[in-house]
Amino acid sequence: MKDRLKRLCFILTTLLLILGARLIQLQIVQGKRYARLSDRNRIRKIVVPAPRGRIFDRNGILLADTRPTWTIAIIPTETNDSALALLSILLNRPQNELLRRLQPVSEVPAPIDILRNVSFDVIAKIEENNFRLPGVIVRVDHIRNYPFRNLYSHVIGYVGEITEEELSRDSSYRLLDYIGKTGIEVCYERFLRGRDGYKYVEVDARGREIGPLTEKRPEPYLPGKDIYLTIDHNLQQTAYNLISKYERAAVVAIAINTGEILCLVSFPDFDPNIFLAPLDPLQWNALISNKSKPFYNRAISSAYPPGSTFKPLVALLALEKHLITPHTQLLPCNGIFQYGNRKFKCWSAHGRLNLIGAIEQSCNVFFYQLGTKIKVDTLAEFCHKFGLGKYTNIDIPGENAGNIPDHDFLDRRYGKNKWTQGFMLNYCIGQGEVLVTALQLTQLYSCFANGGFYFRPYLVAKIESAGRTILINKPQRFEVEINQTNLNWIKNALTRVVEYGTGQAAQLQEITIAGKTGTAQNPPNPDHAWFVGYAPADNPEIAIAVIIENAGHGGAVAAPIVGELVRYYFTKRTLP
Amino acid sequence: MKKIDITLLGTTCLLVIIGLLAIYSSASSQYLFRQLIFLSIGITSLLIACFTPRRLIYGMAEIFYGLTLLLLILVLIFGSGPGAHRWFAIRIFNFQPSELAKISTVIILAKYLSYRRKMDFDFKTLAGPTAIIIPVVTLILLEPDLSTSISFLPMYAALLYWQGLRPLYILLLFIPVLSFIAGFSLYFWIPFFTIISIIVFLRLRFFQALAAIATSSFFGLLSPVFLSLLKDYQRARIKSFFAPWLDPHGMGWNIIQSQIAIGSGRIFGKGYLNGSQKRLGFLPNRHTDFIFSCIAEEFGLIGSIILLVIFGLLIYRLLLIAYKTRDQNGALITIGFAAIIGYHVFVNIGMLLGILPVTGITLPLISYGGSSLVVTMTMIGFALNVAMNSE
Repeated sequence: MKDRLKRLCFILTTLLLILGARLIQLQIVQGKRYARLSDRNRIRKIVVPAPRGRIFDRNGILLADTRPTWTIAIIPTETNDSALALLSILLNRPQNELLRRLQPVSEVPAPIDILRNVSFDVIAKIEENNFRLPGVIVRVDHIRNYPFRNLYSHVIGYVGEITEEELSRDSSYRLLDYIGKTGIEVCYERFLRGRDGYKYVEVDARGREIGPLTEKRPEPYLPGKDIYLTIDHNLQQTAYNLISKYERAAVVAIAINTGEILCLVSFPDFDPNIFLAPLDPLQWNALISNKSKPFYNRAISSAYPPGSTFKPLVALLALEKHLITPHTQLLPCNGIFQYGNRKFKCWSAHGRLNLIGAIEQSCNVFFYQLGTKIKVDTLAEFCHKFGLGKYTNIDIPGENAGNIPDHDFLDRRYGKNKWTQGFMLNYCIGQGEVLVTALQLTQLYSCFANGGFYFRPYLVAKIESAGRTILINKPQRFEVEINQTNLNWIKNALTRVVEYGTGQAAQLQEITIAGKTGTAQNPPNPDHAWFVGYAPADNPEIAIAVIIENAGHGGAVAAPIVGELVRYYFTKRTLP
Repeated sequence: MKKIDITLLGTTCLLVIIGLLAIYSSASSQYLFRQLIFLSIGITSLLIACFTPRRLIYGMAEIFYGLTLLLLILVLIFGSGPGAHRWFAIRIFNFQPSELAKISTVIILAKYLSYRRKMDFDFKTLAGPTAIIIPVVTLILLEPDLSTSISFLPMYAALLYWQGLRPLYILLLFIPVLSFIAGFSLYFWIPFFTIISIIVFLRLRFFQALAAIATSSFFGLLSPVFLSLLKDYQRARIKSFFAPWLDPHGMGWNIIQSQIAIGSGRIFGKGYLNGSQKRLGFLPNRHTDFIFSCIAEEFGLIGSIILLVIFGLLIYRLLLIAYKTRDQNGALITIGFAAIIGYHVFVNIGMLLGILPVTGITLPLISYGGSSLVVTMTMIGFALNVAMNSE
């Protein structure tokens, strides 16, 4: 009997020791791990999104900020099919799109964002149907806001929902995050973005919030940094008003002494706010099927033949290479120049002209004759010095380097020795394969104005964080070695263009403008109208290039726009 | 002469109080209130069991047993429960005949076995007690309630052992059942078969051993046949009993959360009423089957060990009563109850600790629920009865 009691007690003790040992294993050996798991169960880390940095013009006018909005989230473990079906109707999104957002469902019940920037009307409907939408959460959020809508679409660009590809490149983003897509928004993304904060709340097993967690302090967000652009909002608005009556046009103005871009407008354009809400297919189709390509930044991405605006550079080259003097008179212009068996036309019959007169009257025949004397590589090399055919490295994406033909280019395009000096005749009047952007032309003319140096054009003046300046763009200077006397002749000629020549439409009473018209042929379509100039002619501050596509003569269409802009810039006087 | 066993009564009271505190912490005062009503019924039946003359109990054993069988048959026809026929729904609580069967089976087995002075491993000795237990276990298995029907086996083994049957013979007796259960899963069956083979070849003569192995193989092979006859959902239920981790969002979720609750309690616990796993609803059935996880979360290792020690003391006390009494029938009753309570404690806590399969089994005197509390207190009552009349 005693053995049996002992044996049963032994079994009892053994079983209890097994339980005890397992308790020690769970509560002491693995206790820390389980405590962490228990916290992960009950503590939900909630993202407090950082507001994106604001964007101002040079005078502190707000060009992009954030505004409050609503985001819809779903707790997958709490919701059901009928709620999702109803939500898909209310949100007007296909149900499988909502379901896709909920993949992969995590073990711990937590809300997953499914749609951001939901309008107030929709939120009101969701609140009305609250009881039929278990697991659907509406939370306050903030989102980018572009108060001037279209005006800065090509400068600031826009933000949009992150794509999977972007997400795979940078894992610090989350699905549904907004990220800069074009313009300043993408180039300065790392400054504008800020760092999201977190708050901790206690949740129950069904994922419902019980309240804030006292033992874990929230991590505040760091708002995105504020960016001050070099843009002058009023000048931008003025330029926009002036060109938006044409079908396709662009304006660039830069401060000659720094390279700061004072305005940059490309038309047509688009409203960047449309990328924040789910895209309206009709609106989107209208934008992408628009033949004028509103997303195309004509100021920096579009390379045009410069037309006659190129002539001053050719003239300067001829002077520098001693091919002519300012007083040399070439063969008189009778409207046509015969070279070999080809006839090259001028737009008028100018008679006998010297260099000044040729620029002033924009005489082609004079420059055809220079074309017979200049080697293609000499021209290319000279152009490159002024930044033509090269990226200006402006701080927004999408820039076109343009094209300045040289020996290699011609060999590649036409075959070795399949091209002749005849090509140069066209190049010297800014036609043919010579292609430049409006931005490059402002750079070229600011170099003329400065007497031989120019700055890298840039859009961001400074970046501020909490009232502290953390980055100031320093002008980057490029020198071109030019004989000042030669350059003065050219500047003189440019002043005469506006005073007596083809650019008279730009003339102002109070300020002297120097500049050059251009009419770029664009067969079979009508010509593009150019005017590039700077002011005041004797002590230049600003260089402006205007291109109006298919609008005819630069002198008639583009020149008055520059005049108005210069008037506005120096007098702050609004248009009559 | 008539002396109440203070240790047994004391540990019982302690466990009941711990249970009430735990129910309040894990559920609500409403559940506490209902448990207090069950407790009053439990105290009444404890007193009845304690003071009913032993002769009366002895005499009523067959009637009691017959009534139990009748109820077990009726519950199969009229009973309810989740996907099963387990209980009669009577107004405020559910009455489970299988709980009652634990008591009546122990009493009649004790009566039958106490006739026998000597236990041998032969048909004459074992046919009777086996015939008593088989209908009960079978009826409960049909409900189906696998875990409750299994709880009769350790009780049966303990009674036979106490009556003097050698452990080896008990093992041989259980080979058909154990082989059948192990046969549900190859992972259980291979080690089981190996161990059995080693034991029988070491301890028995060659032909006896061969016969044992043959029996084992036969019943082991029977279970796949049995399984193939079942419907898919029934098969799935049996499978999940053996491998709960295959179902992480159902049973697996429960057991994972239970271990998180226990483990995160660490040494001193999170404090009474402060268990976050429990409070925030991560623990399922937290006031019934999973109540030990709540206690371990709030009172830590120290509280859990103290609880185990109290249970150990209670069962030890039952064994000691059986040992001390000269009344063979009373001793067997007490041993049977000790085995049932011990099985519940070990299996319930073992499953929450993740070392045993998940089954719906309560922690005696602690878990919320009328049947379990009343039946356990009745058992304690009988044991007190035996203790009082032991000398």
